[in-house]
Amino acid sequence: MRMRRAAVAVLALAAVSCLPGSAGARVGHGRAPANEWLGIELEGTNGYSIHISVNPRRHLILQVTKERFSAEYMTRDTLVDTDRVKAELRGLGRISVRFHPRGPVRHPSLRGCRKKRPMVQPGVVRGTIRFAAEREYTQVEVREAEAAIERPTGGQCRYLVKFEPHPREREWVSKFSAHDEGVSFLARKYRPGVIEDGGAVYFVETGEAYEAAPGRAPLTIYREVAVPAPASTFRNSHPEHLILSPPPPFSGTGTLARTPESVFAWEGDLSVQFPGLDPRPLAGPSFGSENCLRGSGCVRQDGVHPEL
Amino acid sequence: MGRGCVSFAVAGLVVTVMLLTATGTGQARLRGAGKFEVQQAVTAGFLRLGKESGYRIGLYMPNERVVLFFASSSKKSDAFFNGTSSVYAVHNLGDLEHGVVRARFGSMGWVSLRFRPSGRARKRNPQAAVCEGGATTIEDGTFVGHLSFRGEGDFHVSSAKGEALLAHSPRLRCEKGYALKFHPRSLREYVAPISLLPYENSIALLHASTRSHGRYVGITAAHGEGSPPGAYVQLRIVESRQGMAIGHSVHVDGPPGTLLTSLPGAHPATATLAPPRPFHGKAAYSEESDAWTGTLGVSLAGVSLPLTGPGFGVRLCVVSPLRDRDGCDFFKAEPPFVERAARPGWALR
Repeated sequence: MRMRRAAVAVLALAAVSCLPGSAGARVGHGRAPANEWLGIELEGTNGYSIHISVNPRRHLILQVTKERFSAEYMTRDTLVDTDRVKAELRGLGRISVRFHPRGPVRHPSLRGCRKKRPMVQPGVVRGTIRFAAEREYTQVEVREAEAAIERPTGGQCRYLVKFEPHPREREWVSKFSAHDEGVSFLARKYRPGVIEDGGAVYFVETGEAYEAAPGRAPLTIYREVAVPAPASTFRNSHPEHLILSPPPPFSGTGTLARTPESVFAWEGDLSVQFPGLDPRPLAGPSFGSENCLRGSGCVRQDGVHPEL
Repeated sequence: MGRGCVSFAVAGLVVTVMLLTATGTGQARLRGAGKFEVQQAVTAGFLRLGKESGYRIGLYMPNERVVLFFASSSKKSDAFFNGTSSVYAVHNLGDLEHGVVRARFGSMGWVSLRFRPSGRARKRNPQAAVCEGGATTIEDGTFVGHLSFRGEGDFHVSSAKGEALLAHSPRLRCEKGYALKFHPRSLREYVAPISLLPYENSIALLHASTRSHGRYVGITAAHGEGSPPGAYVQLRIVESRQGMAIGHSVHVDGPPGTLLTSLPGAHPATATLAPPRPFHGKAAYSEESDAWTGTLGVSLAGVSLPLTGPGFGVRLCVVSPLRDRDGCDFFKAEPPFVERAARPGWALR
């Protein structure tokens, strides 16, 4: 399994997402997929929740969440039937189940569905669900699980709803972001009382794509974590000098400073540790950055990558 | 500031653009009735002489009165762009309207040429939307006669062989602001190198210049917001000699360490400049002494020229993009060809 960077992952995902429904259908029997989502709720070990969804284009997403951490393992269901799923999570597990309806169709009021309630067919899936995350930070193995097939009746619903942050999250006074291939880090500082749990918020997202062997589906993994922190972790008394020391799962300190070359150098030992992985550095010369002050604007700095 | 973004075909390209844009006429009805200006009739010529000792060389007649000999070289190495150019301007003693070019470049050489058209003339009308008065006639051909030029570098040209063209543009009536000007008042204006530095996003900008015995020397180094370590450096020299105006320019995309400055608000402000070849040495500026000192020089056109000393004035700008969105803008109000002065004691930002 060969790992690529998240930029590749994003592109791959975008490319996959842009495929017409019929393209996905060709994997199976050539039938157009129904506009239905299959959802499976599971409990992983160590307190993690696991949710598996298969969208109408037969993309399977296994989402692992716990508190402010989430990871998404994305691959392709190799079958086209709505009630059957078969997918390999390359090296991490296997899903091969059939959906069996149980009980009457419901039309629940779901967040994000607005006035048009979706059609939900409850039921169970039977077969094999086996998943062990990296270094087994969580795992699950079941032969049967509760599930539901959901058919949205409006445009957007639970699975299609656009993420919208809390309006007050936009009321930052200082903002810093750093990005390198496969990783994006964001820090925001707020006036006291604007957000709960502190005066700063730290967010990091990573992405990796694993190239597929011929005839097999690729695997893309996104991980993210967002943590609130005291404003004292975000020090920027000088507009061109910034020191960030976010709390766990982050560790270390990142420093932005203008050099005599007028380069805004983002350096330090700041890193983030996702479950099951080694710490991931979040600072260094390869990171591009943007430092913003409300009402003043932003300072941008390109990252430096060695010539290939 | 993008590295390698500046193509440096220098006068050749610039003048070609001027030539082509100078060929416009139009039959179209003009908008903005009542606000017109006249674009004088002009005959322009161009002779591409190819490459000689690494220089792209050519002869350009922007109008009937002036002949320019230009030589430029550019190369890209180690991801850094380097380019130099020299332009020599003299008066044309021939009659370009009839295809005759006759000029002496001091002790460097002379030309005595006559244009020979080949094929049919073309009509072009690039200014049709804004001017009226007729189309420009462009004749392709060659120049025959004598051409000899020994540059200050290491090139020597003794043949007029090469592609040539002659363009006759009639007197045009243009919407105000659209008439092209082909007749600068002095020869120096023909050779003063245009600034290729994108100052708009510079957050560190240093300019040192001197004027002595008719020679203007100005060196500018700029670092743009977001750029990797390094600075873009431009040297511009304009002088008058033996009835000629001579302009030299050098552009280098300097590596890390080229321009170091004190940070915004720090006093006394300081700066050091150490650009790569063809420059050599290093210069330092201090706000405290208002002095531009060091060993900085340039090897250009076969001579080594010092670029520091008490005759130089220095302007230094170091700004915070969070406090000054316009960046360093002390050249914004000036036209691109001007021989820019750097007055000692100019206020720091």
